[in-house]
Amino acid sequence: MFRNNYDNDSVTFSPQGRIFQVEYAAEAVKQGSVVVGIRNAEELSSYQKKLFAVDEHVGLAIAGLTSDARVLSNFMKQQCLSERLTYDRAMPLETLVSLIGDKAQLNTQHYGKRPYGVGLLVAGVDDSGPHLFEFQPSGLTQEMLACAIGARSQMARTYLEKNLDKFADCGRDELIRHGLRALKETLVQDRELTVENTSVGVVGPKEPGKRPLEAFKVHDGAETKDWINSIADDTETSGDGMQVDE
Amino acid sequence: MTSIGTGYDLANSIFSPDGRNFQVEYAVKAVENGGTSVGIRCKDGVVLAVEKVVTSKLLKPGANKRIATVDKHLGVVYSGMVPDGHHFADRARDEARAWRETFKTPISTSDLASRMGGYLQAYTLYQSVRPFGITAIIGGFDSELESPVDGEVGSGPSIGAGGKVQGSHGGPGLYMIEPSGMYWGYYGAATGKGRQAAKAELEKLNLSEGKLDLKQAVKEAARIIYVAQQDNKDKEFELEMSWISNADGPTKGRHVEVPKELLEEAERLAKKAISEDDEEEEGEEEDDKMEE
Amino acid sequence: MDHRPQAWGRPRDDVYGAYDASYMQTNQPNQHTQSPIVTGTSVLGMKFKDGVVIAADNLASYGSLARFTDVKRLRTFAESSVVGFGGDVSDMQYLDRHLTELAIDEAYTSTTTTPNAQPTLNARNLHKYLSKLLYHRRSKFDPLWNSLLVAGLDEAGAPFLAAADLLGTTFTSPSLATGFGSMLAQPIMRGLVPDEASVAQVTREQAINCVRECMKVLFYRDARSLDSYSLAVVTKDGVELSENEKLENQSWAFADRIKGYGTQTV
Repeated sequence: MFRNNYDNDSVTFSPQGRIFQVEYAAEAVKQGSVVVGIRNAEELSSYQKKLFAVDEHVGLAIAGLTSDARVLSNFMKQQCLSERLTYDRAMPLETLVSLIGDKAQLNTQHYGKRPYGVGLLVAGVDDSGPHLFEFQPSGLTQEMLACAIGARSQMARTYLEKNLDKFADCGRDELIRHGLRALKETLVQDRELTVENTSVGVVGPKEPGKRPLEAFKVHDGAETKDWINSIADDTETSGDGMQVDE
Repeated sequence: MTSIGTGYDLANSIFSPDGRNFQVEYAVKAVENGGTSVGIRCKDGVVLAVEKVVTSKLLKPGANKRIATVDKHLGVVYSGMVPDGHHFADRARDEARAWRETFKTPISTSDLASRMGGYLQAYTLYQSVRPFGITAIIGGFDSELESPVDGEVGSGPSIGAGGKVQGSHGGPGLYMIEPSGMYWGYYGAATGKGRQAAKAELEKLNLSEGKLDLKQAVKEAARIIYVAQQDNKDKEFELEMSWISNADGPTKGRHVEVPKELLEEAERLAKKAISEDDEEEEGEEEDDKMEE
Repeated sequence: MDHRPQAWGRPRDDVYGAYDASYMQTNQPNQHTQSPIVTGTSVLGMKFKDGVVIAADNLASYGSLARFTDVKRLRTFAESSVVGFGGDVSDMQYLDRHLTELAIDEAYTSTTTTPNAQPTLNARNLHKYLSKLLYHRRSKFDPLWNSLLVAGLDEAGAPFLAAADLLGTTFTSPSLATGFGSMLAQPIMRGLVPDEASVAQVTREQAINCVRECMKVLFYRDARSLDSYSLAVVTKDGVELSENEKLENQSWAFADRIKGYGTQTV
């Protein structure tokens, strides 16, 4: 009856040592619209209202099942608050992300549970500097320099890989423009980035390399106008680059 | 695997007519695809090393640690499914903490291996769970010194019920635990994709003679990871290493990362060693041709 | 003889009479710690321009008996902060184990030998945590009978010194002392660092000398103190802890002039 006997639940290994349910959950991420994140100091941007502040110093972007994301983001909010309450400090990003990683792993090892059907990009700044993490339904969390997840995100990742060397030294606005250009790569034909379909989340220090933090903020609608306009002109920016490479 | 499709491999904890638990065997397959992990136990400490395959250029170099600290003196590394490894490390930390709470003293490497062996075995017993898709290597150095009980502030009794047992104890420990929960103590342990080549190299070190010292072991571990990686030369990887010495040694009894300078030197030597091997092989091939 | 399992190990009713269960009951409410048992006395702390000096003597008293003379009451945390404990010694040991656990937790994410690669709890975080713990316990009417000083640096690298006590009360000041020290040593230390602004003028040597002087005053006037003590200096380079300091140049000449004690008749 089933095409595949080993894909009914997340507690069955296939003979090759794979767990299909977890792999299928990863497909759910690709159903969600694309999000892009870049770390040097800051930046996240999205193609739907799917950016959330977790705490002053952390924000996240989601692709996949929104309700699953809400569960994880509420959990992260609570963890961040309790860290501030008990230690009076910003939750270290690595600790925070590994908490949701462990939570997700549990769902892949016990019958009656299902993996989370959502991928996250978690961006933030803690005492050791800026961090960007990718979270996958398998419970795998990885620290990235830049990342894109969701539908057609491969195009964005290709752009990010090509421009990886530039991120470390560029300023905030330039970094946002890189994010938007990456986002643009994923658009299907005849679609464009507009103030309606784009939002940008930013977190970083007020001055580069200094301590006081500008809290994570989601820029929506008109606030994104200047950024979008500034990349509207360079229509074939990355296209040019690619052609040269080819 | 002839028994595939007979239905005995569809759920955990089911024995097949010939007495096998297929789900555990499939979990081992997940390990065999993972990056190689190596552990070396030498006379004055333990080294752990792991090959981290770089799956994307966008990964932050040097981040995403795969070797976990469990207690001051204990570390674990694993091959297979990384989230499962996280679960394993988390549990190991809980065990180490619980041990301290009960006995007011650090858990020994062998006791931790025993506890974790039991934990993994429990995940082969029920249909409601799946086995761990990892093989883990636990390394530790149990203090040889008379260590105070946690929280001790003055001098305790030297004899009587609260006194100390005389004689030698402590030392380096290395254990490897498989998805079935089976574990053994090792002089040198290897798991993951390159385990065959790594084991062959470990055997050549004659570790049971106890001649190798910690610094040499670091270099050997790096070389072995490079040798074991040879079959997948095209894939980029990062080498991560940690070590544990006794209280007098370089790590002062703690499990810490191998310092950058030493790691870089070990990698340089490893690259040199394998390129020399390559040249020899090429040389041999040419000789063969000449003979033909 | 009664062989029912319920009777095993019990005094025989035919010999001792029936068990009087009323002994097992009390009409009183549950009580937790009502007073400390084995205690340590004052802890002193003082900021200077690059860090903090902290000191406590090595005595644990059982009432007025000088019971243990090698009890170390300064504890380092993560090689970057020092906690000084006054009050109940067994509660101090409990807290010490707690701090050990906390330090191990911190090391999970910072095995790396590269400094500042991962965030670690600084003195301010540690003080926040300890004061929450103390307040939590007093709210359960089961207090940890201690007064603590936490010395170290804050996230900006500035000297940090703060106190917390069994009620969960917290305060901070350029110089702090617990117990008798708050009456006997605090005025002397305030002479050197009256306010935060003056901290920047104080050198390490000045601060150490002042604290040593205060330890001497305390030994003269506090009957639960000892002349052997521990002294730690916390700076950005870490903690220097010396646990076997001795009071030097004591002068008991003033003792002659004290009237009204013990066997004196005049």
